[in-house]
Amino acid sequence: MSRDLMHSSEIKEIVRDAYGAIDSSTEAVAEKLYSPDELALVPRSAIERALGVGNHLRFAEIERGETILDLGCGAGIDVILAAHRTGPSGRVIALDFLPEMLEQTASAAAEAGLGNVEILEAEMEAIPLPDASIDHVISNGVINLVPRKRRVLAECARVLAPGGKFSVSDLTVGDEELPPEVLTHPATWAG
Amino acid sequence: MAGALTERDFVDKLEKAGFGEIEVHQREPVSLDDLTLYPLFTDELIGLMRTLITRDRQAAVATAIVVTATLH
Repeated sequence: MSRDLMHSSEIKEIVRDAYGAIDSSTEAVAEKLYSPDELALVPRSAIERALGVGNHLRFAEIERGETILDLGCGAGIDVILAAHRTGPSGRVIALDFLPEMLEQTASAAAEAGLGNVEILEAEMEAIPLPDASIDHVISNGVINLVPRKRRVLAECARVLAPGGKFSVSDLTVGDEELPPEVLTHPATWAG
Repeated sequence: MAGALTERDFVDKLEKAGFGEIEVHQREPVSLDDLTLYPLFTDELIGLMRTLITRDRQAAVATAIVVTATLH
């Protein structure tokens, strides 16, 4: 029911405004989710803009040479870690609908000396990649932000090769809804 | 968070999209205190949530899950 409280275009605008306006460090989020060894591989710029909700990369079986797609890459912390694991024979495509996030990811990848990161400005509901072109989809805390989740998952299935892997952290809620005053607050749709 | 699914719905949608071998590896409760780490949740909003959400539920207003699956 909560999904009907706002229209898709409203939600996207809220997310766009909210993420564009973040001006304080979220280093505490990174320190909560990632080990010191993991963070040692990541430039500070990405650590200070971490907005994930989990660490699915600990469970993701990433092989060398894989083509990985990060849906909603944000400032790039998971892109950097995945790019290290797939190595120079693989690549990571960092997708986000916010150009400023993609700029941060590209900058972090360059700072980390990674030549296997590509950025892609697009929406998760319409991924501009060929069928069966991806080995592994990863994503951290963004599918809950998308109005048309079934469409996103169908797009993941389309771009993944048969046997392709999906490794995701995301927020879920219980059956009991939050109070309406909370559900209608813009920040609870963007966060 | 307001648009988040239940875990059951999330897994159901994955199955309908053609995924199998779906495993939920982690379920971490997200408390109101956890939300203060995220700048999108302003002091005003956190205050509103503390007022409107019962104290026992404030310890877990959402759950962060880690899911892996394979495309069939």
